[in-house]
Amino acid sequence: MSALTEHAARNRTHWDATADDYQERHGAFIGRPEPRWGIWQIPESELGTLGDVAGKDVLELGCGAAQWSILLAQRGARPVGLDNSERQLEHARRAMAAAGVDFPLVHASAESAPLEDASFDVVFCDHGAFGWADPYLVMPEASRLLRSGGLLTFSMTSPIASLCFHPETDLMEPALHRDYFGMHRLDDAESVNFQLPYGEWLRLFLRHDLEVEELIEPRPEADARSTYWDASEVEWARRWPSECIWKARKR
Amino acid sequence: MSLSDTARNIEVWTRSNAEYTGESARRAWSKEGIEWGNFGIPERDVLVLGDVAGLDVVELGCGTAYFAAWLARRGARVVGVDPTPAQLETARHLQAEFNLEFPLVEAGGEAVPLPDASFDLALSEHGAATWCDPDLWIAEAARLLRPGGRLVFLHTTPLATICFPDDGPVTTTLQRPYFGMRRFEWSPTEGVEFQLTHANWIGTLRRHAFEVERLVELQAPPDAARHEYYSDFDPEWAKCWPAEEIWSARKR
Repeated sequence: MSALTEHAARNRTHWDATADDYQERHGAFIGRPEPRWGIWQIPESELGTLGDVAGKDVLELGCGAAQWSILLAQRGARPVGLDNSERQLEHARRAMAAAGVDFPLVHASAESAPLEDASFDVVFCDHGAFGWADPYLVMPEASRLLRSGGLLTFSMTSPIASLCFHPETDLMEPALHRDYFGMHRLDDAESVNFQLPYGEWLRLFLRHDLEVEELIEPRPEADARSTYWDASEVEWARRWPSECIWKARKR
Repeated sequence: MSLSDTARNIEVWTRSNAEYTGESARRAWSKEGIEWGNFGIPERDVLVLGDVAGLDVVELGCGTAYFAAWLARRGARVVGVDPTPAQLETARHLQAEFNLEFPLVEAGGEAVPLPDASFDLALSEHGAATWCDPDLWIAEAARLLRPGGRLVFLHTTPLATICFPDDGPVTTTLQRPYFGMRRFEWSPTEGVEFQLTHANWIGTLRRHAFEVERLVELQAPPDAARHEYYSDFDPEWAKCWPAEEIWSARKR
């Protein structure tokens, strides 16, 4: 296995240090009895992104405490949870034991996953590796790991939201605070996030034999609340896209 | 798109023809290179079209047909389609002047009187892509194309659309919602324009049996100048954010 990239090493340190706080703050919000997506926890039953996972080999890239993979295991999938943070995986092991399910957990960066080629029917994440690792490294990995006809789907911050995040107030504003062209690596003090322009996402899918089937831009209900965004930001997310969910099929 | 939207857009383009496009069309026809959009980005910088020699091409919303002329000069068999008689009249004068004849059809992009599966490339540059209901004109493009044929269109980006105020140049603040974007009447004297979210553009293309192959978000070059007529497109803005984009999709 290749060495961690500099940003993966930084993000590993960040997540190992903050995993406990993160699960304390968000664990109950994202640990609900049915699958839900993202910042606003919009039900999978409304978005229809993953489809029926029963009997499928499913890889979660950036599983955290494996809230998603546990639910998919309970629905008949054979999940593998991968995360860059050992501390997050400790939370996952506890959650799996509590739920009475067992499946493999892999401690690695999604930029170089120690897993066999063409071994999954579904590769997915919910605000996981596609925002926390370099898309130019994760996309070829996702493509390599998928079987022909397999599904890649992931949620992340939308490019428009990345433009409108105010770095000093930590809040979303109806204003463009960042240039769009060349958007790639977005550093803050402790961690590194990634974002690409829409056109660059499309180019990256196609370059790695992934046919784009759908782009979902989830919109929260007026009374939506989140542990990730401030209540004052719901109005922003009602008007502009806070998140993207991409769906692509391996040729 | 109702008849009144079409009638209104024809009125607007008849006026634009008198004010601007009638004169500017000769300059556009005279250009040697293919250029995209309000900042004249050269095709050689984006390479969207490929070799068009020998292809059957339909331009939906061709206006004065300068883009069609560029492709005809490169060996394409082009048909220009536009609903505005004054624009087609200008195109006919220029065809005679430049000795470059190709068929021009008076019709809107939502209902084109041409046979099914008769083109290799359907093109729209701020034409049908801006002025027609996407569900209708993309369905027409799909019908007109042969299997494996391509649809290439340029329009304003959804991001620029949400950053335009009701009147005046594009801004760096979000002026209107992204969700629900569809039909725009910017002012009583302007035409009816259409815009969708990126999710809905991809959804509309997929629904009409297109595979999305490329989205080129155009960046204004360092020496970009403000367009003499479409002056609300601020070149400084367009150096930082995409004001126009080109989609390329293949008919299954």
